[in-house]
Amino acid sequence: MSDTMRVFLYALATAIATGFGVLPFAFVKVLSRRVVAASNAIAAGLMLGASLGLVAEGAQRGGWATFVGVNLGIAFIVLTQKLIGDREPEIGDFRGAGARRMLLMVVVMTVHSFAEGAAVGVSFGGGMALATAITVAIAVHNVPEGLAISAVLRPQGVSLLACAGWSVFSSLPQPLMAVPAYLFVERFAGALPYGLGFAAGAMIFMVLVELLPEAYEQERGRRVALLTGLTLAGMLLFQQYV
Amino acid sequence: MSIATIVLLALLAVIPAGVGAFLGVDRLGATRDRGGDAGTAEQVLAWANASAAGLMLGIAYAVLMAGTAIVPLGGTLGAAVGVGVIHLLGARARTSLARRAVVASALHSAAEGIAIGAAAALDPAFGLFLVLTFALHNVSEGAVLGSAVAYRGRGPWSVARAAMIARTGQPALAAVTLLLIRGAPALQPWALGVAAGALVYLVLAELLPGSYRLTGRTSIAVVVSVAAGIVALLGGRTR
Repeated sequence: MSDTMRVFLYALATAIATGFGVLPFAFVKVLSRRVVAASNAIAAGLMLGASLGLVAEGAQRGGWATFVGVNLGIAFIVLTQKLIGDREPEIGDFRGAGARRMLLMVVVMTVHSFAEGAAVGVSFGGGMALATAITVAIAVHNVPEGLAISAVLRPQGVSLLACAGWSVFSSLPQPLMAVPAYLFVERFAGALPYGLGFAAGAMIFMVLVELLPEAYEQERGRRVALLTGLTLAGMLLFQQYV
Repeated sequence: MSIATIVLLALLAVIPAGVGAFLGVDRLGATRDRGGDAGTAEQVLAWANASAAGLMLGIAYAVLMAGTAIVPLGGTLGAAVGVGVIHLLGARARTSLARRAVVASALHSAAEGIAIGAAAALDPAFGLFLVLTFALHNVSEGAVLGSAVAYRGRGPWSVARAAMIARTGQPALAAVTLLLIRGAPALQPWALGVAAGALVYLVLAELLPGSYRLTGRTSIAVVVSVAAGIVALLGGRTR
């Protein structure tokens, strides 16, 4: 199996993991807000842990380059958010506020999948151990992401299969982004710390602007902090022993 | 740079907390009371809070990387311990808003003191970097505390004094941690890990929710992530 193919398959696996987020909805129609908040908090811890791994790897290859990359990643997400703005969309038969929330959810998830795809791709430039750790982290964190998407779509009457489909769709940029990101850092080794920083900055920013505020809306700060903090520590432990 | 100098400097770092608290009561609290431009005051407060959160996260990163570089297990398990312990300690502090703010501030400075002590034991220059960064973040922490406890009848001077006293845990625990690590060097990675975990917990439990309540999430996220990035870059380079 060629390296490029392996990158693609790893990133495809993380995308498919998003579809598993629909599973709880096979049993219940609506999830309690606290469950959604808890899964957001856990996803935040996983992403922060993965980002720290990327930053640490980048810092060994160039502190300033990683720093520049991190800030580019932040700027990238700020700009895409500005671009999405306040559109009033129509998806098939769904209109109005519900549809807007659905589209925003899918678009936001899709956009930040770019960052995660880039993370999987560039992590292969840092060696197999880093790549495995980052891939598993992103795959696991995709599950609550699919859960979040389904939690918005399902009450609107979207079928289970369609929920799973939209969830996987939102993560499809991962395999599509991972391959060019990998080829890029493979060709231009000097770009690796920038790439690692970029992916980390974009993910950290997503945590701060989406996952955490949403968790705080439904759950007390201390419980969010406990869940996110312990997940982060577990993620760091995992990265050191893979 | 001797160890005693670092502890002394950490003691001096309570002064910025007093200055911040004075400004917090005098400017922000008073503005709110007069029904003045509360929007601007809250915005300033939110960003002060967010920048403090960013500085703490940056330091947590630098401290954690130092801890995991020595003995990986102690560093990361220590982080989990730090999260858990501070969570349990915080559960006992349920009183009035003003008193809770002071208790929270004391918990913060305890975690920061452990970080300073563990870092200084590793490398005095690293310890000094932490002292200076925390001194800077004490200003905004003090301002947040000041505006939280600002109520009628309590002057800025008395609040400033309370803020400074709450912060003395910082140099005290720095000294204790230093002595402990001197005695038992095996504690080093654990202390670094505990400090990092406690700092991250405090940011997530107190600073971030407070900031999001006051102003838009995008500006908060920018301030936190950029401040954290700068400190992580500089802190990573002092070693």
